[in-house]
Amino acid sequence: MSWVVYSETVRRHFASIAYWSLIALMAIVAFGTARFDTPGAAWPPLITLLAIIAGCAPIGPELSTGTLQLILVKPVNRSAYLLSRVAGVVTVIWIAGIIATVAELLGRAVMNKPMHATILGTTLLNVATTSVLVVSLLVFFASFTRAYYNAAIYVGLQIVLGIVMALVAMGRRYPTVSRALQQVMNNLFPEEPRALDTPWLLMVLSNAAVALVLACLIFRRREVPYGGD
Amino acid sequence: MTVRARGLRKSFRSLTKTQEVLKGIDLDVAPGEVVGLIGPNGAGKTTLMSCLLGFLDPDEGEITIDGRANDDLDVRRRSGFVPERMNFERRLTGGEFLRYMARLAGVPSAAVHARTNAMLERLGIADAATKRLSQYSRGMLQRIGMCQALIHEPQYLFLDEPTSGLDPNGVLLVRDLIAEQKQRGAAVLLNSHQLAEIEKVCDRVLFLRDGLIARMETLRHVDRVIVAITLLPGFDAAAVEKITGTAPRGNLVVATVESEAAIADVVRALVGSGAGVIDVRRHTADLEGIFRGAA
Repeated sequence: MSWVVYSETVRRHFASIAYWSLIALMAIVAFGTARFDTPGAAWPPLITLLAIIAGCAPIGPELSTGTLQLILVKPVNRSAYLLSRVAGVVTVIWIAGIIATVAELLGRAVMNKPMHATILGTTLLNVATTSVLVVSLLVFFASFTRAYYNAAIYVGLQIVLGIVMALVAMGRRYPTVSRALQQVMNNLFPEEPRALDTPWLLMVLSNAAVALVLACLIFRRREVPYGGD
Repeated sequence: MTVRARGLRKSFRSLTKTQEVLKGIDLDVAPGEVVGLIGPNGAGKTTLMSCLLGFLDPDEGEITIDGRANDDLDVRRRSGFVPERMNFERRLTGGEFLRYMARLAGVPSAAVHARTNAMLERLGIADAATKRLSQYSRGMLQRIGMCQALIHEPQYLFLDEPTSGLDPNGVLLVRDLIAEQKQRGAAVLLNSHQLAEIEKVCDRVLFLRDGLIARMETLRHVDRVIVAITLLPGFDAAAVEKITGTAPRGNLVVATVESEAAIADVVRALVGSGAGVIDVRRHTADLEGIFRGAA
């Protein structure tokens, strides 16, 4: 890990108007939906959206703009750089999640609604865990692509898997294929449980770890050409 | 402290063809030496630079810097690189960008601000320190590119068209900076199409053509000085040859002397032999002519 890269990643998000705008939107949504009976009803998808937006920025776009080349001539190990960027992005996503949770709790207190602190805490934990996987997958895709293709692959894969699963399910002739596709979907794009589910948390975190290890292995050997003769 | 490459080969493969860009390059850049890299487009200059910097892995050959691999972190700590086009997170201000680069390069935290300010001042862009990089002109980006490369006082400097987009003042500044790096013992590799600049700052120049070093020309010798002396017609050619060690060509004689101080001795001796000296200047190779010939 590189503290310099980590702190710069966090600082840059903190200095971004877009980041604080999204957080403000999340806080408003969380506060406003506090009057719903279901806790954590509206803001978790916004955290996933933030994870996709912030998570697609490391590596791929940096390679395309030439930013990465300036960094790689500095004394920073490539894996350390990649992991530090991930840690920085995950930190700012978690901060957004905490702010949204606090906003909802505040809303519930103001509106005299049941606090559901345990459920909200679990929702935050699950969303935070999912965000680690989202960022890890995006960085894995970025480790072998350029620009924002990582985001395109991430979203495209989710759509294609959904369509293929629906088609296979309609046919009802390949239950094994259908189950396998469901497993792939659950592993790459898991749905968050409403309660604390330790095996689910471990599965998501281990998938994220696999994605990060693969990303580091690919990125360490990756050629990063610049310019043209 | 030497940048050294031996037998570098590099090919780029696509589905339909393989293009060999480097076909066996040997290269040495010694401490305190500025080596220029010139050649036509597609000669392999950027590929060579990319291999030396560790951006590309050569298919064959070896690169060492001070006896270590070029991706060694200690080597990186002492390396600087200026890309032809400076691109970075455009939302950062010049100061923020430079401080980040300094911290990445291992400049001690306590010295980061002072070094950053000093570099911005030196490169004449101190007023733009709080401006975002998106507001920088091409020349300003090039200047800040020099700043980030020099902020940690590197021992190995790789410059890719550092004067590209600069105004004449900027060109002079870069020339001075390169001379300073040379003086403090840095090994400098300069890739440029600006033959006049190469001629002014480089000790040696390598002509790349079709992935090979087609020609190597020494522009300045570390231990001797080459001077071109123009004489008035009617001099004694034998006497001039005896004094300078070389036969005159027309009314021009190119002499090699041990030091700048010795130039005056040669001129005195020539005048003493009855020759009229009308011009004395440091001799540089005709790069344009050589480029035409080599390309």
